[in-house]
Amino acid sequence: MSRLNGLVPAALARPFTAIGGVLFLIAAMLPWATFILNDGPYPEKSTLQFFDAPFELTGFRWHLLLFGVLAVIVTFAPVRGKERVLRSFGWGGLLIGVIGALFIAGKGGGIGAITAADGATALGSIVAIVGGALLVLGASANGLGDIPEWPTSLFGWTGMKQRLEAWVVLLIAFAGVLWLVAQTLTAGGIGGAAFPYAGPVFLAFLGFAGGLIGALHGVGVTRWVSQLSEKHRPFSIVVLLLCAFALPFPFTGAGSQYWMQVAATIGVYAATAIGLNIVVGLSGLLDLGYVAFMGIGAFVAANLSGVAASALGWNLPFPLAALIAAVVAGIFGAIVGSPTLRVRGDYLAIVTLAFGEIFSRAAQNNIGDLTGGASAMPGIPPVTMFGTAFNEPIKLFGAQLPSGVLYYFMIVLVVGLVMAVFANLKNSRMGRAWIAIREDEDAARAMGIRTGKAKILAFLVGATLAGLAGAIFVHKLGTASYDSFKFLESVTLLAAVILGGMGTIPGAVLGASLLFVLPEKLREFSDYRLFVFGLALVLIMRFRPQGLVPDRIRRAEFAGETAEGKSIEEIEEQAVLEQEQADREPEAPAAPKEGRP
Amino acid sequence: MSAARHSASETVLEAQGVTMIFGGLTALNNVSISLGEGRIVGLIGPNGAGKTTLFNCLTGLYTPTRGAVRLRGKQLPSDPAKVTSAGIARTFQNIRLFPNMTVLENVLVGRHIRMKQGPIASVFHGPGFRRGEAAARAKSIELLEFVGLNKLDHEVARNLPYGDQRRLEIARALATEPEVLLLDEPTAGMNPQETEEARQLIFRIRDTGVSVVVIEHDTKFIFSLCDTVSVLVQGEVLVEGSPETVRDDPRVIEAYLGKPREEVAAEVAEAAAAIEHHREDS
Amino acid sequence: MTTSRLEVPGSVRIVAGVAVVGVFLWLTDALRKLVDGGFTLLLQQTANGIVLGATIGLIALGYTMVYGIIQLINFAHGEVFMVGAFGGLAVYRWVLPESVRGDWYISLPAMLLGGVIVAVVIAVLMERFAYRPLRNAPRLAPLITALGVSVALQEAIRLWFPDAASAQPFPRVFIDAQVDLGPIELSASQVLLIVVSVVLAVLLQTYISRSRMGRAMRATSQDHDTARLMGINPDRVIVLTFVMGAALAGVAGVLYGSNINSVGNDIGFQNGIFAFTAAVLGGIGSLRGAVIGAFIIGLIKTLGGQYLPGGTQYDYIWIFVVLILVLVFRPQGLFGEAERVRA
Repeated sequence: MSRLNGLVPAALARPFTAIGGVLFLIAAMLPWATFILNDGPYPEKSTLQFFDAPFELTGFRWHLLLFGVLAVIVTFAPVRGKERVLRSFGWGGLLIGVIGALFIAGKGGGIGAITAADGATALGSIVAIVGGALLVLGASANGLGDIPEWPTSLFGWTGMKQRLEAWVVLLIAFAGVLWLVAQTLTAGGIGGAAFPYAGPVFLAFLGFAGGLIGALHGVGVTRWVSQLSEKHRPFSIVVLLLCAFALPFPFTGAGSQYWMQVAATIGVYAATAIGLNIVVGLSGLLDLGYVAFMGIGAFVAANLSGVAASALGWNLPFPLAALIAAVVAGIFGAIVGSPTLRVRGDYLAIVTLAFGEIFSRAAQNNIGDLTGGASAMPGIPPVTMFGTAFNEPIKLFGAQLPSGVLYYFMIVLVVGLVMAVFANLKNSRMGRAWIAIREDEDAARAMGIRTGKAKILAFLVGATLAGLAGAIFVHKLGTASYDSFKFLESVTLLAAVILGGMGTIPGAVLGASLLFVLPEKLREFSDYRLFVFGLALVLIMRFRPQGLVPDRIRRAEFAGETAEGKSIEEIEEQAVLEQEQADREPEAPAAPKEGRP
Repeated sequence: MSAARHSASETVLEAQGVTMIFGGLTALNNVSISLGEGRIVGLIGPNGAGKTTLFNCLTGLYTPTRGAVRLRGKQLPSDPAKVTSAGIARTFQNIRLFPNMTVLENVLVGRHIRMKQGPIASVFHGPGFRRGEAAARAKSIELLEFVGLNKLDHEVARNLPYGDQRRLEIARALATEPEVLLLDEPTAGMNPQETEEARQLIFRIRDTGVSVVVIEHDTKFIFSLCDTVSVLVQGEVLVEGSPETVRDDPRVIEAYLGKPREEVAAEVAEAAAAIEHHREDS
Repeated sequence: MTTSRLEVPGSVRIVAGVAVVGVFLWLTDALRKLVDGGFTLLLQQTANGIVLGATIGLIALGYTMVYGIIQLINFAHGEVFMVGAFGGLAVYRWVLPESVRGDWYISLPAMLLGGVIVAVVIAVLMERFAYRPLRNAPRLAPLITALGVSVALQEAIRLWFPDAASAQPFPRVFIDAQVDLGPIELSASQVLLIVVSVVLAVLLQTYISRSRMGRAMRATSQDHDTARLMGINPDRVIVLTFVMGAALAGVAGVLYGSNINSVGNDIGFQNGIFAFTAAVLGGIGSLRGAVIGAFIIGLIKTLGGQYLPGGTQYDYIWIFVVLILVLVFRPQGLFGEAERVRA
């Protein structure tokens, strides 16, 4: 994106961004469609509303309005990091405009739907797009500058006061995250025939959320909060967990059974993705058959749960079954890892793919009567703890929580556990060894690291986590079927890790979320889902291979950036500029160099 | 001074009759080399003479076809990782840092084998773990100070200038607490000032009790640094001895420098001066 | 005292390997089934295996050439094969007039041409827009891209080729005759497939080893930069490699279709994996190896499906087992070069 830097002369930066912001304002109030879409949460055809009902803008219009107002303010206010902020707003609004334009044009049968037809004009989306472009170009005119550093305490406090201040900040930040997550989940409603706009509304919301987060990032808030949460880690974890637990409560709007389902599924896949992150993200072992470990855990747990289709006929309490499932999966991980020690890179990917396919085929054919084959293993009894079956609704603190919420709580705890394990491993001797192996395996061996054992360990740990996730998954779903664990799922998990950003926890969670929420929202496009997925993989690798939330190492590796996030080109440019400046200064007489005798 | 240099000392590392044959190519033929405790040994020779191959044999990367390598009298393990644990560390001719890790992290990886926290401790981060990490970090910073890189500890390794990268590689190797350090062309591409700094660094390393073997092409550097010099030509040891012995040997000049004796007179005089310099220093 | 590893002479290894295989076959009851089934069955399945091997060989050549030159496993190459098959089908359905469809000497070449053109176009686009920008990226990037291309192509056909959601019938374009080979019979189409694949492989080998362009290809596969210094344009050579591989895959697709009489958008994945296994078994980078490996894989599939436990439901698995064993014990395959460690 630094390619856009300097496309526009510096003098035009401010006018561009100011006009861009104003255009957003206008776009928010213009009609967007020349015909009336079915009633629903999508704006109908309307004339310029400003004088009639200036503040009755909802949904993406209100998002655009917000961006526009903020953009104008930031253009003229002394805000540090404003270029990145404005650029974020620009991209966000641009995205909203593009999505709106595409959707309306598609529904309305052509460009006319968004420009002028049948005596009506609707330029809203186009104005938004132009505004966004102006904002982005104007913001990039002067280069982007560094992300501003925030002091640990805004008021210069220390000690207990500083800690309290940090806690308050973290509470607000995580509450904000909770709100954003709830909004994202519910934006547009459930996809499908009943809510035909779920897709575009959701995507437009993503544009808004992305722009907002990008702006916060650009001004330095996200990094500051991240640093604070590092310093106050136990508190952060507690707050994060509380927020996650608060999600099903009615006040967030996400408290229906459906959203609990979605959130729980995301949680399971996120846990699995984090496990994969250990194998791929940290150690650099390309595993294309990873979902097989999830499947192994799933079928082991299913067979131990007393389900009718099981040949074993055992019925163990869930925690024990899950533990055994995880251990068995881990053992298979070690088994898969062992012969692959001498295999590198692409070949490793194919070997793991082969193992994955062996599992898939074997499961499909009901090997050893353990997997139910084509008829699967339905009717897995729900987890029951403390006398309550997990698929029943419960009452907590006076609020009625939907059924399945207990699974959700359990999954939140498990995801938290997996995150903790991952974070601890990454910042440890073991984690460094894995990263070293990824960077240069021979050099790692020269440092004394037993690379073989380390790689097997990576597979083992990753597989264990996947097995645990699989056990939970299958109990929640109620059925264990080979269908859930095919090659495509492995690719999707890998894509989640890569898209989100390899080597980071938020990356894996984000990736898993996107890849499992989008299909829900975009149900009407479900036919195109896989095609878009394939295309997305190609585009991501081309334009942002480090993913959305890359860790520092990955950023350095893919984008040639330093630890601070500057690109190598920017540093070189700066060096050249400094050199030119130095040359222009009057030269001091060179002191004779004293060589050593 | 020379008598002191060649006084009897325990042999830390020795290669005896090492022969390395790859397919039809004999890379090393009956090479013997010995490193005394606290000594600096130089290894010179034309390109392709087998110097790096010998290093690879000394670190377990290759297993000699014939002959043996012994560390303090014991047979060398056949796995490079075990060799490092046993106390031999090396740098590489073409600098193999972990490019996207920071300077500090690179050195921390070097501490890996001298740390005890296993995977279980790594998961739980108990007090023992944290103490271990803090100790490792402190030691790593110490090493970075020793080589002069402590100000850059959060720089990403591949962004370092070339000379700093070489120093980082040395720091990383030292982090494994070796008894023997093998340096493969440590001053390649360095200007005279950096070369001199490198020479001083190697002396300081030697003074901490580490024995060093250096491969180099810069003969002036080698002669002013080493106690013994071995000349390797086409996989065989041509001459082994003190810098003066090697410098004066006509076979060396012919095989290595490839010039008539007369042309070399000036260089020889320079080398003599360097040897004098060395005597004054160490 | 030396520390050299125990050297096991090659002959001992081969005998040991054969013994292991023999024990395996005995334990899995395969030997008994072999005897029970009779010689004719064995011959028939062998012939089937060779036919399958012919298809796989043409695809494997593409894999091995591309890997040899840019060290990339073109995961999407199987889809190139699939697209070629559909290209031929498209020609048959919409280009050929009704009257000539029955004349195989017109329709077959037309379909082959169509299949090749489509396959080549897709491959060139793939190389230009998906792989070339990632020439210097870390290994992960092109691999994921290839996965993406593979998925996208499969879906594109399913979405936009009429009715391709389910398997499409593919005409038997060749002479409808049987060839008698002693106790067994092969259809003319099958014989055609074998003959074409062997001929093309030989032609390719000749071209690579004798022609100027072939020399350029070999030079580029060794060292891009040096080749550039010699005046060779590596980009052009790479495109040519893709083109040749795709052409072979396109031919394979059409002939495969005319043999099996059915194509679906999933034929690329399976056959692609088989072909890749064959290339690895033969030694990636070796043309001869790809072809020989392909025949071996074909035989394993048919004979394994016939005689090994699990039958045709698990025949897939034996191929994967072979792949894993090769990559673990002899990664250079049969004819590849062992990785030489730099001195």
